[in-house]
Amino acid sequence: MPRSQGFSSLNNNRPSTGMRPFVVLMIISVLLLTFYLREGDTGIIHGVRGFVTTVTSPIRYAGSAVASPFNALGNIMGNLTASQETLEELRAENEQLTAQVAELSEAQETATRLEQLLGLQSTYNLQSTAARIIGDSGDAWSRTVQINKGTADGLSINMPVCNASGVIGQIIEVSTNTATVRLITDENSGVSAMVQATRAQGILQGQPDGTLRLEYVTTDSDVQEGDIIVTSGIGGVYPKGIPLGTVSSVTRDDNATYYTIVVTPASSGTENNEEVLVITSLTAEQTASDEEVAEANANPQGTARDASSDSGEADQSDGDSASGDGSDGGEESDENAGTIAEAGQGE
Amino acid sequence: MEYRDTAHSQRALAILIAVAAVLQVALAPQISILGGRINFMIILAGVVALMGNASQAVYVGFGAGLLYDLTSPVPVGLMTLILTAGSFLLVQMASAGTSGFSSTSLRFMGIFSVGVCMLNGIALFFMGSERDLLLSLGGHGLMSAVLTTVVSIPFLMLSGSMASSRSGFSAHGYGTRFKSASRGRGRRLR
Repeated sequence: MPRSQGFSSLNNNRPSTGMRPFVVLMIISVLLLTFYLREGDTGIIHGVRGFVTTVTSPIRYAGSAVASPFNALGNIMGNLTASQETLEELRAENEQLTAQVAELSEAQETATRLEQLLGLQSTYNLQSTAARIIGDSGDAWSRTVQINKGTADGLSINMPVCNASGVIGQIIEVSTNTATVRLITDENSGVSAMVQATRAQGILQGQPDGTLRLEYVTTDSDVQEGDIIVTSGIGGVYPKGIPLGTVSSVTRDDNATYYTIVVTPASSGTENNEEVLVITSLTAEQTASDEEVAEANANPQGTARDASSDSGEADQSDGDSASGDGSDGGEESDENAGTIAEAGQGE
Repeated sequence: MEYRDTAHSQRALAILIAVAAVLQVALAPQISILGGRINFMIILAGVVALMGNASQAVYVGFGAGLLYDLTSPVPVGLMTLILTAGSFLLVQMASAGTSGFSSTSLRFMGIFSVGVCMLNGIALFFMGSERDLLLSLGGHGLMSAVLTTVVSIPFLMLSGSMASSRSGFSAHGYGTRFKSASRGRGRRLR
């Protein structure tokens, strides 16, 4: 009997059920996931991801370039709806001027942002590198952006990133020429923060719905709507005194230890091609000293508003002490102090 | 003839993979609607699985998931695992005839997208990446699934044209994958 008509031929003609590759690839997938979760930030899989990010970055740039005209169109549409009265006045005065404004709005916004960034850099004496946002996260579950600078430009993991309004996030992954920035609105983000007026300490935490909450602020603190929230510098990652947002609501539940404080981010959002500053190193004045950390832990509720307003402004201007004299810190405050110090380390 | 046909379908598959990969890297990060994002890797895995070749579907599902994991800030291996399993299940559920754009293939693609996005959302929640399960599933997951299903239509059409050109050139016809087995059995009986 010819071999082709034998039993082996029947086996060859049977369509593959894919069971063998399925099992093998499932095992590889599980191993990949396990190794990824167990390895540190500099493991092999992170390295491979960095390589892939570097290789694919030209495609990302191309995508960003293709999408940017649509962003500009969106901005123009936004301007038309947002400031209809202003546009009507302008149209009445000079229709040609209105058209010009629409055409140049994007360039004007870029120039303004750059000026503000320069202002931010000089105001806070930041050691920084300018970068540009080239796209958002590829998945819907995280709030991150990609910037066009990487290890080749001296960037590394954990460096804070600011735009003209204030802090926008922190680098979580970096490749040769790109970096991924986790925004402060991401629910995995936590920033050591304080109320500028009273120096009340807390952790600014992103929420699943994209809002911000200042957590672990004890109910004996003085916090009001409209208060400005700034970085406290306790975690050693963010320079102190950089704006994070404004308190939009303060609620206190019965028998609650902490306030529920909702914060409106200083930055209204990130957009494609927006310029940002990556803070590459902190000076001694920009980080909280051991005494300041101890003071903040001892008095996390901060000081009274009237007493602190002057010293608060002085602190802000010269980047000095993070906490004033303050009132007594009881057991509750001590517990809170531990929490803040701990969370600040994980910033 | 079959040789030429195989080469043609392989080339078409390679083009499909390349297009989906480029779109995933270049376009997916730029578009976000109501908290959802288009996942071109789900589309690629789904379209290939609907073609009916189980081994090919599993390999492409694995590769697509890996590319997604490596180009997005997500745990590496998670989408790889989900798409590998999902492709295998889809190819078992759908017969080879579901390739191309039809109500049946769109339904399968919808189920596949929703399943993958929901599983991903649940996994991210239990891994601690997401804190709100409802938002993770209802907001990001469902919206991403809807967007992905809608955008999959041109890909299904493309796969349909691939399948029709393939059957046009074929000497045997590729009606279903069970045909070749019965043909082999018949030969044995003779």
